[in-house]
Amino acid sequence: SAKQHVVRKFLGLLSSHNIPVYLIDPLILGLIDKDIEQIRSSSDGPSPECKYFCAPRDFTTFALLDKAWKHEVELFRNAEKIGFQWLKFLNKDPRLDGMDDLSGTEIPLHYIFKLASHAIHLVVFYERSGNFLWHGPLRLKQHMDRKSVPFRKLDFGRYPGAYEKPELLLVSIDDLKVQIPKNPSSFLEEMSYSRFLECRYREARAFFQLYPDDASIDAVEFRKRAKSLLHLAALTLNNLGVKFWLSSGTCLGWYRQCSVIPYSKDVDLGIFIRDYKADIIPAFQKAGLPLKHKFGKVEDSLELSFQGDDDVKLDIFFFYEEDDHIWNGGTQAKSGKKFKYLFPKFTLCWTEFVELKVRVPCETLQYVEANYGPDWKTPVKTWDWKNSPSNVQYNGVWPVDEWDEVIQIY
Amino acid sequence: MDEWKPNPIIKPHKKRSWYLAWKYKLMNQRALRKLCQTGAVLFLLVTVIVNIKLILDTRRAAYEEEEESAQEYDDEMLNVEAPRHPVSNKKVLDVEVYSSRSKVYVAVDGTTVLEDEAREQGRGIHVIVLNQATGHVMAKRVFDTYSPHEDEAMVLFLNMVARGRILIFTIKDEGSFHLKDTAKNVLKSLGSQVAPFLSWRDMWTFVGKKGGEVYGEKHAKSPALSTWGDPVLLKTEVHLTSVEDAECHWPDTELNRRRRRFCSKVEGYGSVCSCKDPTPIEFNPDPLKDNKVFDVPVAVIAGNRPNYLYRMLRSLLSAQGVNPQMITVFIDGYYEEPMDVVELFGLSGIQHTPISIKNARVSQHYKASLTATFNLFPDAKFAVVLEEDLDISVDFFSFLSQSIHLLEEDESLYCISAWNDQGYEHTAEDPSLLYRVETMPGLGWVLRKSLYKDELEPKWPTPEKLWDWDMWMRMPEQRKGRECIIPDISRSYHFGIVGLNMNGYFHEAYFKKHKFNTIPNVQLKNVESLRKDAYETEIHRLLGEAEVLDHSKNPCEDSFVPDTEGRVYVMFIKMEQEADFITWTQLAKCLHIWDLDVRGNHKGLWRLFRKKNHFLVVGVPASPYSSKKPPSVIPVYMEPPAKEEGAVAAVAAAEQT
Repeated sequence: SAKQHVVRKFLGLLSSHNIPVYLIDPLILGLIDKDIEQIRSSSDGPSPECKYFCAPRDFTTFALLDKAWKHEVELFRNAEKIGFQWLKFLNKDPRLDGMDDLSGTEIPLHYIFKLASHAIHLVVFYERSGNFLWHGPLRLKQHMDRKSVPFRKLDFGRYPGAYEKPELLLVSIDDLKVQIPKNPSSFLEEMSYSRFLECRYREARAFFQLYPDDASIDAVEFRKRAKSLLHLAALTLNNLGVKFWLSSGTCLGWYRQCSVIPYSKDVDLGIFIRDYKADIIPAFQKAGLPLKHKFGKVEDSLELSFQGDDDVKLDIFFFYEEDDHIWNGGTQAKSGKKFKYLFPKFTLCWTEFVELKVRVPCETLQYVEANYGPDWKTPVKTWDWKNSPSNVQYNGVWPVDEWDEVIQIY
Repeated sequence: MDEWKPNPIIKPHKKRSWYLAWKYKLMNQRALRKLCQTGAVLFLLVTVIVNIKLILDTRRAAYEEEEESAQEYDDEMLNVEAPRHPVSNKKVLDVEVYSSRSKVYVAVDGTTVLEDEAREQGRGIHVIVLNQATGHVMAKRVFDTYSPHEDEAMVLFLNMVARGRILIFTIKDEGSFHLKDTAKNVLKSLGSQVAPFLSWRDMWTFVGKKGGEVYGEKHAKSPALSTWGDPVLLKTEVHLTSVEDAECHWPDTELNRRRRRFCSKVEGYGSVCSCKDPTPIEFNPDPLKDNKVFDVPVAVIAGNRPNYLYRMLRSLLSAQGVNPQMITVFIDGYYEEPMDVVELFGLSGIQHTPISIKNARVSQHYKASLTATFNLFPDAKFAVVLEEDLDISVDFFSFLSQSIHLLEEDESLYCISAWNDQGYEHTAEDPSLLYRVETMPGLGWVLRKSLYKDELEPKWPTPEKLWDWDMWMRMPEQRKGRECIIPDISRSYHFGIVGLNMNGYFHEAYFKKHKFNTIPNVQLKNVESLRKDAYETEIHRLLGEAEVLDHSKNPCEDSFVPDTEGRVYVMFIKMEQEADFITWTQLAKCLHIWDLDVRGNHKGLWRLFRKKNHFLVVGVPASPYSSKKPPSVIPVYMEPPAKEEGAVAAVAAAEQT
């Protein structure tokens, strides 16, 4: 088939330049996943038919690790020689975006190689701080030919994405040797929530122009502790497979200034109650973070607080989803009063924060505004969690006979 | 002097405009100003209305398209490539050159390419090189030939310029005092009739083609010692050649395409642009076996000294075990020429918008470069930090590969540096020997990521602090008692003469005679004994074996050390407490080693070589090694110098690198 032929030529071209690529095409990986056991076991069984690469599509998607190759003009010359047309999509390097006024050369984010009517979409993945891979968005420039490839249908490039470094497997399918993610189904699962948000570095710089950063020893120390607590929390929750995101002050710090707010005194995380696991508390205790208090219960207003080193607290708020909003609860220990914090519905995105790949609400502005009101850009040092938030609602009082369960302080 | 001064920032071309003058005249008239203001307001209003309409239209269009969700694929920045400047078909350039006491300028086709009327600056002969086909400025230099040796640098530079280039000369203030015959003859060979007779405070302009015709020359003699010659203005025409004629015909390879791009833009790099036998720009040194630093990023910190950078990168790329993909050059400022050099070698470069001034600027540039390095190479545990004015030894990476595990495993270490502050020709001997020292030498060193991320970056001095980054790093708050590993014979060589804290005299005195390893693949011999405790054992062993020198002799004299080879000797000097370096400083001075502050010490012990013998100096009683002193030996005490000299030293110390 013509498609198989194009893929074969493309893979041949890249291997002749020693450039390792792997297949990330969701359609083909989906097909492969169905036969994965068989494909794994038969390393080079001849397959008479073109079962995978001939799926009816105008393009096939591959990934390339930036550090695995050197930008060679020769590659493109040779591509042209064997009949490929190619397009390169450059953009600025996000790894330098957070830096004061560095301007590196632009980096390639995507390539399209086209031969006859079939296109190869090559997505370039970059290593980012936080031990993950990142790919950029695909943006057309004005003078570019928009018709040659159905850009809107491409599976990668609408948004930037974040991925774990994949384990690869060399398989032989449709008479072609190709590398694929070792576990295609988990790659596809990962792909479905891979959207990445860059921190708003420019706005953060503007913020620090207005409110110069606190560089005192205390601030430096707190940030260091908060960072290591966040790293520990992320490690613990990731090991349990519990999804979490930056919430409250930690989220505000990321969104507003791309850093930990030095006077915030704690680290705040959010978890959907549907992702709650009973192992969470013992896992943190095992990690050296004793439970400080537990308010509420799984059915209502659950909130956990762990004691980190040197007086830094880790607060975990559990979020409850309703039809048209999401909320989490608060409890005042001495009175048993309950509070409710309302948020508009949100989805989760990845970001990079203090050298960590973590989730944040994609609709961050609405989230932050719900929590901190329209003046979230102005630093407020005295914060009362019962009155200050603009989304707080009074939510009654816990029945006294439940207090032992819903108000636990250690 | 082996290098010349860098060219100043190439200013954007300015139109020398008659129309500006007109504008100012008109603006002075009130009525006209009013009229202009009203006009401007009206114009603004119209623009605003038109724009709003445009925005609304675009929005509507965008929303319509949103249905198909194509919008995300459009580039918001409209990053359309600007069309290249149209190549002018003009075959003749009008060149104007002006020379006077306080101002020089050069205009090409009405565009100012040089203008210098700054006071107390830019004295000497200004040289501009134009491409003979395009008329573009390829190099700008000024040689202060009023001062010694600058004429040699000029000759060196002129010899590097390719035949056929257009050369433009003009004198500002004074350019003849140290213009020796050699230089005058070179100018004469370029076709100048006046150069051989140039004298005190003459004004002079000259335009000619290298190895070809003369386009014009003007000269004004100074009538008396106390006065300057009259300003001279030379106006002439230069005939352009075809691009074909101006370029070399190298085979069409990727390397040569880089070379061609470079050579058609800049001048003064000699044989790299030679048509006949160009020097290579790819080096392919032998790979290192079991290279532990192959994946360690290398940050080259650069300013606007492209010739230095060129020399530096050549030596770096020639070092065994180099991995060009890990190298990033960080340029402090939007300078084109350093970037051209980086691209010539196919490396990646990053420019940094200057913030702050002088020392603080360097310091901020360092911080940005280090942060960027660890962002670009998130897996890296270390970074190698180099500067643009260093030669790199052929076994630089081999040296690091053999020692880097110490930095990873030994918490009491702060850095590995390629530079031994006390390693001069007459005091360093053993390329396989390493030391532990309490001072951070810099000049080619390895930084641990955790040290940077956890300790240094969060409290890096802010721009208003005006601190030297290296001085700050050496402060006890940062160093926290940790030490650096250094080689006896340095693996870097500091060749920079023109720098923020550098001048010719200073370089001559403290850097020129530094020893630099040129032997490949040196096997380091005492690596494991560099660990904290092992090193103490090693020192005790060494002191145990050392012969005590005759303390009645003058330690400054050569005869203080016997005429032997390969022995270990020890002397004891007075050192009342940890910070008492009075005698050490005097000893360092008379041994002609680094004496501007204390370097190279380890617990009151210095290790160096004299006459090919290992020579140990122990400060008594502050050093824990004082116990090795035989009771009969009285530690040497040396008087601090007379006051005058001390003041000079203090000033120099304040200015050191």
